[in-house]
Amino acid sequence: MTLALALAAVLAVAAVAFVARPFLREPAPASDRLGELSELERRRIELEEERDRALAALKELEFDHRTGKISDGDYRELVGPLRRRAAETLQALELRAGTGHERISSGR
Amino acid sequence: MAALGRAALLLSFGLVVYALVAGSVAAWKRRRRLAASAQNALIAAFGTTVVAAAVLWTALARHDFSFVYVAQHTSRTLPLGYRLAAFWSGQEGSLLLWLLILTGYSALAVWLHRFTRDLMAWVVPVLAGVSTFFVFMLVFVSSPFMSAPAPADGAGMVPSLQNPYMLAHPPMLYLGYVGLTIPFAFAMGALLSRRTDERWIVMTRRWTLAAWTFLGVGQLLGAHWAYVEIGWGGYYAWDPVENAALMPWLAATAFLHSVMIQEKRGMLKVWNMVLVALAFCLSIFGTFLTRSGVISSIHSFSQSPLGAWFLGFIAICVVFSVGLIYLRLPLLRSRTKLESLVSREATFLYNNLLLVALCLTILWGVMYPLVTQAVRGETRSVSKPYYDFFLHTFGLPLLLLMGIGPLVAWRRASLRALGRTFIVPAVAAVVTGVALIVLGYGSSTPGLLAYTFGAFVAASIVLEFVRGTRARRSLSGGSWPGALAELVARNRRRYGGYIVHASILMLAIGVAGSSAYQTVRERGLRPGQSMEIAGYTLTYERLQQRQEANAIATRAVVDVSRGGSHVTTLYPGKNSYPVEQQVSNEVSIYHDPRNLGDLFTIADQIDPKSQTLFLKVLVKPLVNVLWAAGFVFVFGSLVTLWPDAVEQRRLAARYAADTVAA
Amino acid sequence: MIALSVAAVLAIFIVYTAVAGAGTPQLQPSDLARYPRGDVMLVGKVVGPVTGDSHAAVGKHFVLRDVTGHTSTRVDVVYKGTVPDLFRVGREVVVEGTLRNGTFVAKPGTLSTKCPSKYAPAPAKNT
Repeated sequence: MTLALALAAVLAVAAVAFVARPFLREPAPASDRLGELSELERRRIELEEERDRALAALKELEFDHRTGKISDGDYRELVGPLRRRAAETLQALELRAGTGHERISSGR
Repeated sequence: MAALGRAALLLSFGLVVYALVAGSVAAWKRRRRLAASAQNALIAAFGTTVVAAAVLWTALARHDFSFVYVAQHTSRTLPLGYRLAAFWSGQEGSLLLWLLILTGYSALAVWLHRFTRDLMAWVVPVLAGVSTFFVFMLVFVSSPFMSAPAPADGAGMVPSLQNPYMLAHPPMLYLGYVGLTIPFAFAMGALLSRRTDERWIVMTRRWTLAAWTFLGVGQLLGAHWAYVEIGWGGYYAWDPVENAALMPWLAATAFLHSVMIQEKRGMLKVWNMVLVALAFCLSIFGTFLTRSGVISSIHSFSQSPLGAWFLGFIAICVVFSVGLIYLRLPLLRSRTKLESLVSREATFLYNNLLLVALCLTILWGVMYPLVTQAVRGETRSVSKPYYDFFLHTFGLPLLLLMGIGPLVAWRRASLRALGRTFIVPAVAAVVTGVALIVLGYGSSTPGLLAYTFGAFVAASIVLEFVRGTRARRSLSGGSWPGALAELVARNRRRYGGYIVHASILMLAIGVAGSSAYQTVRERGLRPGQSMEIAGYTLTYERLQQRQEANAIATRAVVDVSRGGSHVTTLYPGKNSYPVEQQVSNEVSIYHDPRNLGDLFTIADQIDPKSQTLFLKVLVKPLVNVLWAAGFVFVFGSLVTLWPDAVEQRRLAARYAADTVAA
Repeated sequence: MIALSVAAVLAIFIVYTAVAGAGTPQLQPSDLARYPRGDVMLVGKVVGPVTGDSHAAVGKHFVLRDVTGHTSTRVDVVYKGTVPDLFRVGREVVVEGTLRNGTFVAKPGTLSTKCPSKYAPAPAKNT
């Protein structure tokens, strides 16, 4: 019984210590603010996702064409808009990177 | 030592409540150290739960009957393996298993993604919230650590549970059920942190897939258990407890497909949130059904007080998810529209609708007794005909869609192109269908359709592999097997998915054969008498009895022959357990290579004096394809799960801003 | 489009329930008086005596009472077909059939017993 109590006490102390650890390690930090993605970064992530989507769609179209699922005619028809979309997303990202670069590095 | 177990669980309770409250405050007020502290609390809760689990396992191993739970579920003669499995054979222990897996998964998920602080700040309180419920139940309502003066011997384990399935089936199911909590928590976390990107999907894709695989394997194990051990001749009885696992699995299947749409086209964001919440709530509902006895089922009849608590928790989960999704609706609106009803997106959508429709009809069937009781004051129930009808109505089109999907292009497929790609599978299907009708398989329309659609799907999948391998070979040369391996390695998700589809096809064929085309005969026999079924002659020769470790085994010696020549000898019978005062059914099965099925024998009403018995024989074609499907299923999932270094790098770069170093 | 599909699904559903009927009533022996006709599922606890042979013409005879509630009502059941191994006096069973002339005539093969619940507290064992 006392062994059980002792073990339980050890467990409790260990748990509390682990939970308090962030506060014990940094009793007086410069900033306690939980970082948040800035609007800029969110937009960038979304743009990157759109870019990846457009590129993946192109890749899949090529694959389907190569494996014979899509005819040459259909391929010619579909590849144009997809390439344009991919180019658009790449361009949007570059613009973002160009104008937003300074703001990102100086933020937070 | 029970005191240590109680203390450990009490600590777990304190830790998850802290994680919930502190985590919420930290996320709300953007407090970094508090968020880290909440994260640590969630991880620590796993540690304390492990201690509690270890206490129970030790008590089980050591026959510590001062633990009420140990006394209730084990006995001195119970072998060690089953003593350890008794951990989950009872209410309290199985709750602890659930908590152990939940805290384990949570700790792992939190630790793996500890640098994605933005999202994790909200994921932690959601995970903690779910854990709080289960720890609460374990500490205040249903504790495995109640102690009492130790009796001389325990009550033992029900004989029907003493088989290897007991070691595998419940843990597999739980790894699946509980696994669905992770994508749910990440989804809710994304909503709470107002994220509109796909990060949460990318982070939880493998979790969902793994949980779905475990749940599927768990169900197959359960079905096989029922088939060989309970032995009524079937593997699925639409029992509420069986449906309890099927429903979340169907919802998760729908979810796995629709997230692909979100990843590729950015559509269906709201639908995905709803699906992941549905899958999670159904997983809790599933365990509620199994435990509470609120719906009378072959498995449990007693009304348990746990039911009310679980219902309350499910209600909270539903209200929370629906409310949160509703609040974030503006954020989730996507600009992309479905371009064509004939496109791969559309087939995915149809697949989803059918899966959810099937899931909801099963849910309705399960709830029907409760609904009629509440509305009309009398209990009515539905049974096999109801479920079979909807399985056919929704399942057969689903089967066909599995074959159609890969053949249709994204965005918009021209009918001309479809005509070309459909030709070979369609011809295969028609040829198969006609051949089957000629051979007499028209006796069952659903069966015929299943086989015909199956041919379509099989041709479609084979074509995919052939086309892909051919293209790969023309690109980089090499042998056919080498090109195939490289093809799969470079497109793991796609071809892994096709392998999983193949396993579902096998499942469908196995189910169709063994249900639509099975033959059943039953006859009373005296020693020396025979019966005929599907070309086989079964002769009941004599009865034999022998004493086993804890049972008296009575077996009928049955000679099986075909066309005059001996095929095998079967020994169906019963085991009588004097201590537990129970009789178990021991079936005898012959795996027939001729139809990839089984010759299944059950001996009933055995009279030792007159040596008469009733022999029930079932011929179940293709049922072994069903079990084989399980292995293909796991293999396909593993291929899909296999990490892809290139993909990982690309995703890491994409989300670099998300990952905070300081 | 989604709305259309949902409507289609509901339509199938409604047609089915209209045609195939809305389930089978589940009753305890004390409720049977309200259902002198028609197919029902009878849920009850087996009380002795149990006589006869379910595979013989005369069938197996046993008596059921309510599981909870009115424990005074008794219903005679005659059953033909396979009897589950777990069947015995004191077990809770479900059987489908119709009440005829005071005796519940069961549909062959519809008798099933509840597995003793592994989640209920086990009855006290005399050691």
